[in-house]
Amino acid sequence: MNKSAQKLDVTPLVDESYCAAATQAIRCEATRLLTEGTVAAVIGYQAGRRKGTAMPTIVSSPEKAAELIFSSACVNNLALYLTKAKKEVRGKGRLAIVAKGCDMRALAGLIAESQVKRDELVIIGVACAGVYASGADRAAPLTNATIARKCRECVVHLPEGADLLAGSLPQQPMLTPLESQELARLEALTPAGRWAFWKEHFSRCVRCMACRQVCPFCYCEQCLCDRNRPQALESTPRPAGNMAWHIVRAMHLAGRCAGCAECERVCPMDIPLNLLNRKMAKELKELYGYEAGLQPQEKGPLAEYKDTDDQSFIK
Amino acid sequence: MPKTITEHNLRLLIDSLLKDRFRVVGPRLAGAMALYEPLAKGEELVLDQLPRRSAKEVFFPVCENILSFERTEAGLQVTDVDLSAMSETVLVGVRPCDAAAVPVLDEVFSWDYKDEFFLERRRKTTIIGMACTKSDDACFCSAVGLSPGETKGSDLFLTPLLGGGYGCQVLTDKGQQLLARYPKLFVDTVDARLAPLAGGTGDRLDLKRIKAWLDDNFESPLWNDIAERCAGCGACAFLCPACHCFDINDEGTTELGHRRKHWDACGFGKFTNHASGHNPRDLQNKRYRNRIMHKFKYYDDKFGQTLCTGCGRCIRHCPVGIDIAAILREIESRSQ
Amino acid sequence: MHHSKKHAFEPKIVAFVCTWCTYAGADLAGTSRLQYPANVRVLKFPCTGRIDPVFILRAFQKGADGVLVSGCHPGDCHYMAGNLHARRRFAAFRTLIEFVGVDLDRLEFSWVSAAEGGKWVEVVTELTNRILTMGPLEEFKALEAEECWSGKLDTPELQEAYNNI
Ligand code: SF4
Ligand code: SF4
Ligand code: SF4
Ligand code: SF4
Ligand code: SF4
Repeated sequence: MNKSAQKLDVTPLVDESYCAAATQAIRCEATRLLTEGTVAAVIGYQAGRRKGTAMPTIVSSPEKAAELIFSSACVNNLALYLTKAKKEVRGKGRLAIVAKGCDMRALAGLIAESQVKRDELVIIGVACAGVYASGADRAAPLTNATIARKCRECVVHLPEGADLLAGSLPQQPMLTPLESQELARLEALTPAGRWAFWKEHFSRCVRCMACRQVCPFCYCEQCLCDRNRPQALESTPRPAGNMAWHIVRAMHLAGRCAGCAECERVCPMDIPLNLLNRKMAKELKELYGYEAGLQPQEKGPLAEYKDTDDQSFIK
Repeated sequence: MPKTITEHNLRLLIDSLLKDRFRVVGPRLAGAMALYEPLAKGEELVLDQLPRRSAKEVFFPVCENILSFERTEAGLQVTDVDLSAMSETVLVGVRPCDAAAVPVLDEVFSWDYKDEFFLERRRKTTIIGMACTKSDDACFCSAVGLSPGETKGSDLFLTPLLGGGYGCQVLTDKGQQLLARYPKLFVDTVDARLAPLAGGTGDRLDLKRIKAWLDDNFESPLWNDIAERCAGCGACAFLCPACHCFDINDEGTTELGHRRKHWDACGFGKFTNHASGHNPRDLQNKRYRNRIMHKFKYYDDKFGQTLCTGCGRCIRHCPVGIDIAAILREIESRSQ
Repeated sequence: MHHSKKHAFEPKIVAFVCTWCTYAGADLAGTSRLQYPANVRVLKFPCTGRIDPVFILRAFQKGADGVLVSGCHPGDCHYMAGNLHARRRFAAFRTLIEFVGVDLDRLEFSWVSAAEGGKWVEVVTELTNRILTMGPLEEFKALEAEECWSGKLDTPELQEAYNNI
């Protein structure tokens, strides 16, 4: 990210055997589930054509299970494929899914929002040491220089509540929390300074909606931001509409966002969307002691209330 | 003797153009990426990065007003855009895959309907292309019949020289005029040996055979296999130099507002949604199929060209790793 | 033409209120002939729970210099808990827009009951005076007028660049 900040350590964070073990465990389980007919399909990752890349795959026969892999290139949050935005996948029947820790948080959220039934799902958790940052050099191994920002401060390397755990976690060095540092830097700015920061970023947004399309929680069949009669906010990619879109996006994800940072990863315009998510998560934790996706809870913080809630800001 | 220009003079050329009131657009840093943006001085030109977005927005903006309306006492006043106010532009440092897409776009914007917004910008722009000496594993220009040294679409084309600087190739009158306007910046050189161009940009694909397969396989299980994972965003279409779909929206109030034309993408679920609620492309694989069909069949049927220059942007930035080059190889292998 | 800016500035303030308490409170202020600034435009909703944060955003976008959201005191909601849900939502929304760079002094929340005509006057007067000293909200207006570079015909930035050469 910022080359000037420090000389980043380039010692690999994971070795071949770590990925191989996780891959092996996933293949075994997938083969078993598909052979026994426990599930109709397994949602996992397969290698991409280009070196150091992987992509989501939906495997429905035991023979194909050998294509499944796990590596630091398995960046996607596959929970996306369980939402009603992906009817064609849901329609297949019972599903198994490969989930890293942050993906698991999204699954917990979807279960709490009654989008997915836990007992209709087999969750193959993976011990996750981290994944590549978007734009990282995929010819290089996973290092301090190539790891995603979210993974530097991950608290869910071992997914909780999965049906089994694939792989085991290698030794984890302490990494500088670049994202928290950036968040603190922004918080310390004046409102005008923050406005300038976001304005520059949002003005580049082309409204490709990749951030929305990959988010497991953006499953609304009619997004408010697509409406034009009446138009709730401008749908054209201009600075005004973009600002509104990003405020609405962050608001609609507040208290639900699992922190998988998929929205930020896929943004072709490099907009640091996870800073907004992090900020909201942090405030909601402070206000209501709530953290999304850590325990399956009935309701999110903005879907309930307490008589004792803070109202110091209300006259 | 061939004309050449040093890097220093290339930057001076940009300054001179600005002084002469041209708008100069070229790769410029925007955070860690480069984008084609108006340059404020020659120094800003970035030479070693493929811009994240293509150069199409010079002619086909992300979003533009096409008319304004206001209700006054005299009734509803509609104001057209004054196209003559569009700036004379020089587009510099354009990659071959971006420049080659411009003549492809010309076809669709001047076909049954003449899109004056596109055409006026096109008339007023001179394109200085630049050969690539670097590529990555997403680039596949050679596979679709172009190359890192392709001059299609450029008015003037620069090829890096072994000893530094660029060899200049004049391809059109516009290019000639530009060269003639600043004769001092372009010099004759004895040592005009060209630097080696980027390699590994893909073995030639048989686009005819691919098209033949597409002609017969509107319904094929392949579509679901490759595109079930598609997230349905606009990243591929918006970054693509050849995609050109747009939507038109009226924004403002009934009293005062603008009609705006802006990028749209066939990957979006709402793209083909009818007012009735019926959606002929109801599943994502049908939307992705359209992307391939439009690029390698429909456009070919209509205009005899394909809508892909192998820039690799959609491959690099697809959120779910869909790789159009790999898909084309797969189709080619099926089309025996 | 050239009055002092301060004098010429008439803040536009939008008040989103619930029909059961605050609207009735404002009505009471009116029937009691209490004076308060005429800058507020009142929009009536069934409940504060129906006031989507996007309305507030929209008001700022469309030219409001200040926004007030007001409803029933906790315990008085006509629909039991609409205001309590709203309380959390607005707490979150405040943080969000502050993080994006909006000055929170432009956004006020209050509980005003049907009997509190005086409180309504107080809240509205104070907000109006505050906005008066702050001046117009320029950020959203400036944004509204901006185009992405490729959508511009010719640009002031460009002219400036020319002149600096
Ligand atoms: S945030 Fe944690 S669980 Fe998620 S990819 Fe990074 S290291 Fe893995
Ligand atoms: S992914 Fe980025 S460019 Fe696309 S809509 Fe989201 S923020 Fe905008
Ligand atoms: S908002 Fe972003 S980080 Fe949060 S769940 Fe959605 S994609 Fe993940
Ligand atoms: S289809 Fe993909 S590779 Fe081809 S020109 Fe468009 S963005 Fe580039
Ligand atoms: S192919 Fe990739 S970039 Fe294109 S719409 Fe599908 S997910 Fe988005």
